[in-house]
Amino acid sequence: MGNSISKVMVKMFGYREMKILMLGLDNAGKTTILYKLKLNKIKTSAPTVGFNVETVSFRNVKFNMWDVGGQDRLRPLWRHYFPATTALIFVVDSHDIKRLNEAKEELYSIISDKEMEDVVLLVLANKQDLKDAMSPHEISEYLDFKQHLKNQLWCVIGSNALTGQGLVEGLSWITNNTKSNNKKKTSDAT
Amino acid sequence: MSQGIYLTDQPVRRAQPSGNQLIRKIQRACRLTLAEPDLGLNLDVADYVNAKQGAAPRDAVIAIVKLINSRDTHTAVFALALLDVLVKNCGYPLHLQISRKEFLNELVKRFPERPPLRFTKVQRLVLTAIEEWYQTICKHAAYKEDMGYIRDMHRLLKYKGYIFPKIKEEDMAVLRPGDHLKTPSEIQKEQEIAQAAKLEELIRRGRPEDLKEANKLMKVMAGFKEDNVIKSKQLINDELSKLKRKADLFKDMLSASESPNMENETLVELYSALKVSQPKFQKIIEEEHDDDDLVQDILQFNDTVNQVVQKYNLLKNGSVEEASQITVPSISTSSPAVTQGGALANELNLIDFGDDDEPSTSPPHGGESSTTVDDLLGDLNNLSFSQPSQNFGLGGSISLGAAQPTSQVASSAGLDLLSGFSETPSATSPPPPRQETSAANLSLFDDASNISGPASTRTEVFSSEHLKIEFEITRDNESSIRLASFFSNNGLAPISELTFMVAVPKSMALKLDPQSGNYIRAGEKDGVTQFGNIENAFFNANKPLKVKWKATFCVQGSTFEETAVFTFPQV
Repeated sequence: MGNSISKVMVKMFGYREMKILMLGLDNAGKTTILYKLKLNKIKTSAPTVGFNVETVSFRNVKFNMWDVGGQDRLRPLWRHYFPATTALIFVVDSHDIKRLNEAKEELYSIISDKEMEDVVLLVLANKQDLKDAMSPHEISEYLDFKQHLKNQLWCVIGSNALTGQGLVEGLSWITNNTKSNNKKKTSDAT
Repeated sequence: MSQGIYLTDQPVRRAQPSGNQLIRKIQRACRLTLAEPDLGLNLDVADYVNAKQGAAPRDAVIAIVKLINSRDTHTAVFALALLDVLVKNCGYPLHLQISRKEFLNELVKRFPERPPLRFTKVQRLVLTAIEEWYQTICKHAAYKEDMGYIRDMHRLLKYKGYIFPKIKEEDMAVLRPGDHLKTPSEIQKEQEIAQAAKLEELIRRGRPEDLKEANKLMKVMAGFKEDNVIKSKQLINDELSKLKRKADLFKDMLSASESPNMENETLVELYSALKVSQPKFQKIIEEEHDDDDLVQDILQFNDTVNQVVQKYNLLKNGSVEEASQITVPSISTSSPAVTQGGALANELNLIDFGDDDEPSTSPPHGGESSTTVDDLLGDLNNLSFSQPSQNFGLGGSISLGAAQPTSQVASSAGLDLLSGFSETPSATSPPPPRQETSAANLSLFDDASNISGPASTRTEVFSSEHLKIEFEITRDNESSIRLASFFSNNGLAPISELTFMVAVPKSMALKLDPQSGNYIRAGEKDGVTQFGNIENAFFNANKPLKVKWKATFCVQGSTFEETAVFTFPQV
């Protein structure tokens, strides 16, 4: 009996794995974030043509992080990465105010997909180090989630991929919120 | 209480409402109350899978194999029937799923290690299915390299001693790729669906080598690589050359005897294949109007198709007389654009020569001459064609109307031929490949003699009892030559419907202005003129510049076609 309890404990608090999809317009900083998390290094990268996958372990959770290129031509292919996604990290270049609306449109088109309707949504307002960058709050206002998202867990966090500010915070938010989510889901199912 | 909370090592998969609907449909199609497999319900599942794509093919296949393995024979048989319908209707995305190792292992889960003395009904059906896939999609499908595991499973079962039933020919025919000419947009759509399915499967598998391939595939899909465009061009060309072969065969069958058997199955089949592809020509031209070569090729081929079809219809109605009036040239001669190099051209030339050996076909005079020219073109190789504007419409009512072999021209050809030989040995032209060459050689040797002749500004390119063509060649600058063509009527009857085409080697560019007209009164001199420029024709080039020309015209209701290669004098 003690055995079975510890098994449950391991399953609850032990190792788990989840798929995280990282999307956003080109030049938002997705690849930089990925390698900052993975290697704790700044890897200057050319625009991603295709995608990168890395596993990042954090607090007993293994994140399979998928970073898919954000250029125009790659965006129609994003949907192929949707299946089995637990959390979506949408990276926004807070400095690129001109394209903020474009980013908003892309984001809404992602989360309106049936496959993505109950993923956990984290928006990283990246490049907070730059002058004139919009604050996470401003971005949150602009994206207008309060109006449009009813059943989805979401959060906007400011980040700076160069220093790593906000990244760990984001992951821990995802960890906390998916755990309860799963618990709820499984208990619903039984 | 807390029993309900289990976290597995698998990534958390949410319940998919769309999947549920699919499962419901599948269960409905296999339910026990049905007396026999319901094609309507099965097709309904196929439509659903086709519409949804994404995970649907995979989910469907997983659900079905579960049913195949159920203890109840009825359900298993129905599930196999459903699977068969899906394989035949859902294309590559589903084929990819049935070729997964996991699926195939599931499929034969209930097969004993050693084959039983007697197969159960389900086992027999499973073996039939695997054999059928092995014979069809593993061999013919465009993506057969992805079907490796089906081949492996087939080999494994055979090795274990299982015997596969023989498949009926008509069952296999369904899974063979159809020989349809497809427009670029159709090909593109198919590619998109297939590649999306492949990409999702690779992402799902997630092994490093899969991800590497996925990355590569993504570049192709996003258009960073030209593969897709090249592939679709290739497909169109392949289908076109197949069709051309069919047209050739069709033509031969029609002209093989006075009254060919019109009920002949092959003949009817060829007829419908050609007829069906005709609407596609127009679509391809609309979509690919930038590709001049292709458009020209298709236009001319379309004309040929129109003629054979017309001939077929005449023969069918019993008007043998009229039908014999229509002499359809061999495919490659009627479409000079084809000679622009590439595998396609070679293939066609081969076909063409094969035809000429046949005594029953009497190629019209124009056809004969241009065959020789084709040989010459072997030397020239890549010629690019440019045509006067008022050319062949889709309607296909051009020049080839009722070309009677022109005996007069042929005889005069012989004469001039000799004189040509006596004057100048033509260094520029290879010896005529066959004896019965006619006008082509004539003009060719004429040209050769002209080179050494007096250097007048006007050079006679061609002269027959009807038409005389002269070029006036002047050099504009280092790289550009100005070409003026003058057409005169030598005969006593007016010339109408004159079209003139010139082709220059590929390294050069030809711009032709429209002809000043297409009608020349009897005896009129310079009745029609046409101006053009040849760019990139450098002064002091190593080889003399050669151009191929072709003129078609109508005199008193009969159509003439003249063509030859003209060698430019040094200018």
